[in-house]
Amino acid sequence: MHIPDGYLGPQTYAVLDAAIVPIWMIAGARIKKALKARQVPLMALAAAFSFVTMMFNVPVLGGSTGHAVGAVLIAILLGPWAAVVAVSIALVVQALVFADGGITAIGANVVNMAVIMPFTGFYLYRLVAGDRPGHGRRIVAAGIGAYVGIVAASIAAGVEFGLQPLLAHTASGQPLYAPYPLAVAVPAMALEHMLFFGPLEAVVTMGIVAVLARQDSALLEMKPAAKPLRWLWGALAGLILLTPIGVLSPGTAWGEWSAAQLKSVLGYVPTGLGKVGSLWTASVPAYAPPFIANPLVGYLVAAVLGSALVVGVTWVVGKLLSRKDDTPAPTGPPSDAA
Amino acid sequence: MIPALAHIADASPRGRGGVRSLARRTADAIGHAVAEVLENDELAGGPGLMQALDPRVKLASILVFAVTASFVHSLPVLVVLVLATMGLAAASGVSVVSFSVKVWSSAGLFALLACAPSATAWITPGPVLIPLGPLSITAPGLLIAARLVARVIAGAGFGLLVIWTTRWTDLLRALSALGVPDLVVATLAMTQKQIMSLLRTVENMHLARESRMLSTGSARENRGWVVDRMAFVARRSMKTADDVYDAMLARGFSGSMPSLVDLRATARDWAWMAAGVATSVLVLGIDRTVFPT
Repeated sequence: MHIPDGYLGPQTYAVLDAAIVPIWMIAGARIKKALKARQVPLMALAAAFSFVTMMFNVPVLGGSTGHAVGAVLIAILLGPWAAVVAVSIALVVQALVFADGGITAIGANVVNMAVIMPFTGFYLYRLVAGDRPGHGRRIVAAGIGAYVGIVAASIAAGVEFGLQPLLAHTASGQPLYAPYPLAVAVPAMALEHMLFFGPLEAVVTMGIVAVLARQDSALLEMKPAAKPLRWLWGALAGLILLTPIGVLSPGTAWGEWSAAQLKSVLGYVPTGLGKVGSLWTASVPAYAPPFIANPLVGYLVAAVLGSALVVGVTWVVGKLLSRKDDTPAPTGPPSDAA
Repeated sequence: MIPALAHIADASPRGRGGVRSLARRTADAIGHAVAEVLENDELAGGPGLMQALDPRVKLASILVFAVTASFVHSLPVLVVLVLATMGLAAASGVSVVSFSVKVWSSAGLFALLACAPSATAWITPGPVLIPLGPLSITAPGLLIAARLVARVIAGAGFGLLVIWTTRWTDLLRALSALGVPDLVVATLAMTQKQIMSLLRTVENMHLARESRMLSTGSARENRGWVVDRMAFVARRSMKTADDVYDAMLARGFSGSMPSLVDLRATARDWAWMAAGVATSVLVLGIDRTVFPT
């Protein structure tokens, strides 16, 4: 996911490079308040760990290997703001020492892997794990956080790539930087991470959390998140209010065509699609509740219904997991043998 | 020093098709990365045009070049910038062949693979140059792909020039002199040292595992072992941080990081910087006026 120089135009990388300065300042102030002068070696070691994590080859399907990013794991161990600093430092060292990731693209890489990934993953982990999780719930929460964190980061990278043809092109419309439009770049990045790197990140994070919970559970002490969680609810409400913007954009998302749309493009409906497409009828098709005539209001109501459903299911699953596994993890003796 | 173990001709267990064990492959990759950093440091200490520059001036000028490359739109000017990186490498005593191989095999190859579909009629319709059905290469598609690859290679080349001609310690001094807070510079310095230390630990773990293995092991076994070792590295990192902090306190650390920077730019450095800015303006002028897109 390390974006090299050349893929993003100045309009994109300049904005992202500028955006990381206040983020770093806030992160610095937050961790200084929490960790005092101990932050220097702790951040350095966390950054070194983040770097080394990316050097571990993990076997995946078909004899191939991949590597994890570890940003969500560091957020679980040290908190999300510390993860911002640690992963940022690792990315800067990778760019300046190992030529991995571009110099102008440092802002984009930091936003994707050191901000979006740890924050998304950490707060999802907190949401699923609750305040006093047992072994099983903590491990499942870490896996979900890691998976969603890396997928969210990949979608952000896809959006950055996909915006390039819109932002910079020749008079004849040829893209000057990353050549794929949003409809191709976002699904390509998201699918790759949903199917391959996401499961890998989840397995590695779950495995490490499981080992740490068994051997040194003090490292997994829950970091304070009450205020940021309140902020998260506010952000969710804001996003719901913004959803009607989606109605204004023309066309259908790439790959999400209905049978009727496919017929208008291809001239026929594939047989299998025709059969399977009628198996399930959604209660709120196309995000337009049948009982609301105004499409903007309908879209807004659909967003409220969908968000409530997702939050409700997550809450029920969390409750079920906490019933099953409500005893705190015991602390075992450390074992460092290689 | 390059880890000796990483270069011993191996009699390691091999899997189907003669594939070496995961432990051996990872140990080799880490040994190679460590060796590369050490070799870069050696190269940065040698004679050459870029090595003789003040690190601050070098960092600023390379940033100017990288930004200039990102603003260039025409393929011929981008090709000139690629050639300029090779010229600077040669003037700095860097082997142009190894420099080009490094840039092409990493950034160039990846860019080529990433943008290859954009050269086809599937993504970019237009006059067909090489007919291959729906994957025919079109003229505008080829131009889009070539432009992206050239820009990526130019950007990666300028970045690599900084890395190969600047000692890490000089780079940190330059960052400090350019106003980056001392605490950040100190953290960066410590991070690099800890990365090397952890990489050695991880390399030794893999070599130790390989020496105990009679077969390459199943993917499940290897995955379990890797995750267990990553957890060990995580614990060790957190614990070492406390030890390092105690050592800092023992040496009189009181929370501030006094800088010992004593960099002085000479007339040659200023001339280089002025020439760099002038060249960038010239390049962008030619790009916009001679080759308008």
